[in-house]
Amino acid sequence: MKKILVYLDGNHPNDLSLLGACELMVEDQAFEITAIGTQDNVPNTNSVYDHVLIIDKCNINSYDTLNLTELLKEVHFQHHYDIILFSASPIGRILAPRLAIALHTGLVADVTDIKSNQGVIEMIRPAYSGKLMAQIVSIGEGPIMMSVRPGVFQSTQTQIKQTSITYLEDYQPKPSKIRLLETHAKAKTEDIRDSKVIISGGAGIIDNFNRLQDLATILNAQVAASRKVVDAGIVKRKIQVGQSGKTVSPKLYIALGISGSVQHIEGLKNVETIIAVNTDKLAPICSLAQIVVEGDALEFIEKLIHKIEQNSLNF
Amino acid sequence: MKIICLIKYVPDMEDFKYDYERNVLIREKMNQILNPEDACAVAFALSLKKSYPHTEIEVVSMGPRNITHKLEDLLRLNVDYATLISDLAFVGSDTYATSKVLSEYLKKQSYDVILSGTHTLDGDTSHVPAQVAQWLNLPHLSNIINIKTHEIELGRLELSVDSDHHVMTYETQLPAVLSLQKDVPYKLPYVRYEDLNKDVSNRLKIISCLDLNLSKVDVGFDGSKTKVTKTFVKTLTRSDKIEVANDDTGIQVVYEFLKEKGFIS
Repeated sequence: MKKILVYLDGNHPNDLSLLGACELMVEDQAFEITAIGTQDNVPNTNSVYDHVLIIDKCNINSYDTLNLTELLKEVHFQHHYDIILFSASPIGRILAPRLAIALHTGLVADVTDIKSNQGVIEMIRPAYSGKLMAQIVSIGEGPIMMSVRPGVFQSTQTQIKQTSITYLEDYQPKPSKIRLLETHAKAKTEDIRDSKVIISGGAGIIDNFNRLQDLATILNAQVAASRKVVDAGIVKRKIQVGQSGKTVSPKLYIALGISGSVQHIEGLKNVETIIAVNTDKLAPICSLAQIVVEGDALEFIEKLIHKIEQNSLNF
Repeated sequence: MKIICLIKYVPDMEDFKYDYERNVLIREKMNQILNPEDACAVAFALSLKKSYPHTEIEVVSMGPRNITHKLEDLLRLNVDYATLISDLAFVGSDTYATSKVLSEYLKKQSYDVILSGTHTLDGDTSHVPAQVAQWLNLPHLSNIINIKTHEIELGRLELSVDSDHHVMTYETQLPAVLSLQKDVPYKLPYVRYEDLNKDVSNRLKIISCLDLNLSKVDVGFDGSKTKVTKTFVKTLTRSDKIEVANDDTGIQVVYEFLKEKGFIS
């Protein structure tokens, strides 16, 4: 029986990606899964987890990764997990690497595929700006550790288990060296992951990138960008789609002048429809698209806006 | 005030060369560039030095010997010291082994703050800064988009962190490991023309595995906890698709599709 620990944090509380990843690893074997986190982030009734460990009584702030690492280390030494999974959230991304050092084990980040090959778990992730995929195995004694982005894996688990719920309380945190002074919410509409329609631009529209907003306004969409546009300093990283940006699952993704490196495509999960506009109809993105428009992206924007406006006038 | 910047030279992915028959990256032919977010870290350190002239900056990089001349260029930008941690024994180090090597060096140094970028262009795991912080038992924050230094004399920094839906402002005690994100408003300047050939070699040192008292089994492939068993170029699945030109007919097809699916009312 494989013992699995998943760390759930607040950014994506309902995401079952981690559970989906577990299912791929254990195949048909029985497994016991424990979720750990604060009360707000873990279920406190019967759920898909066998055990839930609630850490609120340990008095550790969510950003205090020094103390959280120590706590998770203690929990691991009590239960000896085979696999430990983290959501690749802002805190998960800085907590998981620390725990890997504390447990002297390997860690694989942003896993996008998992294979179990005669008992050896192979983790696949993009590398070299997503131009290559790397298959990685964990070697050594410690538990297998990985981080998974929200929405990457789907869980088929529907069975509700008799979940045991435990409040951890014996931990004595050391004084925190970090203090939270202020939090301010970004306007929710800023997050491209919440958008049903995304108008995304790449190198092919880099000189007229501001025109994307015109089309986005008409289609009630949000503007996103490929890494090239972000690296050129034209837009902020927060609207970048791809491995080093965000993973999006809109109903419609219009890719304007984006060639579609593997890195970029890693950011497109469960997109219902892709429309690709590119001067090169053999660009990688075009092989994923339902509609390929061969031509200049700026010209396409102008023509499509004109078409939509003309037709709305006719009504 | 002493700042250490952990920096990495990475293959310029614009210049990607791949041997599709042998399934390996042709690294020798690829240009190495300073990882963009690491450059932001150095740029911030330099800006701090302008405000606080007694600030001392050291850049530390682990990598092959051929990046020496790139480190020299940073020394020509007012960086005080450069340290290259380089040894054939380090080849194949994963983030566990890499962070161990860096930490062995850092343990013997004095510093107030260790800066790095959050992401790299090559591996992009963001593991190493957090892992260095763990080895050194220091606080760590990443995705930093702004730094306020008004309390630096008191051994504190105020940091704004991009955290998905929120911007969080933290205060951290120093020493700390701080990873900057590309959105910070600091850019590395160019080397001044008259400094292009300035001899800076006396401020650059090269450290080997032996210098760090590390055994070869602690580093490289042997010291790693993960192993890359295969690399491959992802093959994309071809879907049933419509191909149109960027003309009236093409626009009509797109328009009707958007209309049919309800994207246009």
